[in-house]
Amino acid sequence: MSYFKYENSPYVIRSDIAEAHASFWENLASPGNWWTGAERVAIAQEVRNALSCEFCASRKQALSPYNFAGEHQHGEGLDEVAIDAVHRVITDQTRITKTWVEDNVVKGLSKGAYVELAGLAVAVLSVDEFHRAIGVALEVLPDALPGAPDGYMPALASEGTGYVPMLPNDGAIGKEADLWGDRGANVLRAFSAVPNAVRDWMMISSAQYLSFEGMANFDSPENRSINRMQIELVAGRVSAVNECFY
Amino acid sequence: MTETEIDLQGVNGDAKAADTGVQYGAELMQFAETFARRDDEALTTARNSLLSVAGEAVLVDAAGVAANFQRMVRIADSMGIPVDDMASELSQSIRTELELTRFEGARNSLSAG
Repeated sequence: MSYFKYENSPYVIRSDIAEAHASFWENLASPGNWWTGAERVAIAQEVRNALSCEFCASRKQALSPYNFAGEHQHGEGLDEVAIDAVHRVITDQTRITKTWVEDNVVKGLSKGAYVELAGLAVAVLSVDEFHRAIGVALEVLPDALPGAPDGYMPALASEGTGYVPMLPNDGAIGKEADLWGDRGANVLRAFSAVPNAVRDWMMISSAQYLSFEGMANFDSPENRSINRMQIELVAGRVSAVNECFY
Repeated sequence: MTETEIDLQGVNGDAKAADTGVQYGAELMQFAETFARRDDEALTTARNSLLSVAGEAVLVDAAGVAANFQRMVRIADSMGIPVDDMASELSQSIRTELELTRFEGARNSLSAG
């Protein structure tokens, strides 16, 4: 089955956007480092469930998200720790703490698995949000592919920044040489314990926002109908509403 | 460089500021805001408004950027990453002008030192 044909879109969609979304959908359905293909698709479904979850909506209004009783509206295929993690990343991410991440390790959600879960969740969200922004229906989730997760963690990934292991900013070498150049910003390093999560976000970002090369163009990026000022106004306003300090 | 004067308060929702030096600035800002606030009715109005002044190619590009930045905030906060260079003068001045330390996620950078 092929995805993201945008036949029902009232607008012409740039081919690079459709291609990036379709390519990510293939990756989504495949086994990862910590999750099977079926679990990865289940994570994607939880992203969608989270946005209409009444428990999440109530908890977001509470002074603290901890010790708030209730149950998520959720689907099948994941345990409750993973379900809660997806819902938190999607609906209440500003209150995620290191303690919460480490408590989840005790409950069985390793940091590598959390990084892969978060990477998938935010990538699915950005694809779905594009659809919402232009007013078209969400794409059907892909059928999962068989295979087991491989348990890969880059040898250089270590704790010290944020809540999870990351490659050091000069650690894009060897198998990870394609992730960034001489030095990687923290936003690139964030998912680097799961290198394919970085690759996925780079691929989607290049189509939805700008490529790394495009980020050096402060005037009118190629293949865009808006200039850099217009791009950053939209980016900045969305980020401000989301209270993004970074 | 374009040497165009802009007003950063457009990022904080000031429509007049958004329009300063940025073509379709007010419409782009309104589109971004209604989208991020998940106000579907207002988003429809803002989408149509942007479409009518700027055309569908601008709308699609703006939608891509808006969707991308729904991801970025969640990357930063879910992984707890601090801002890379808090000491940069430009960065400090922008943070001050936009009052960014009011955001809860600021703690990841302020505590990192």
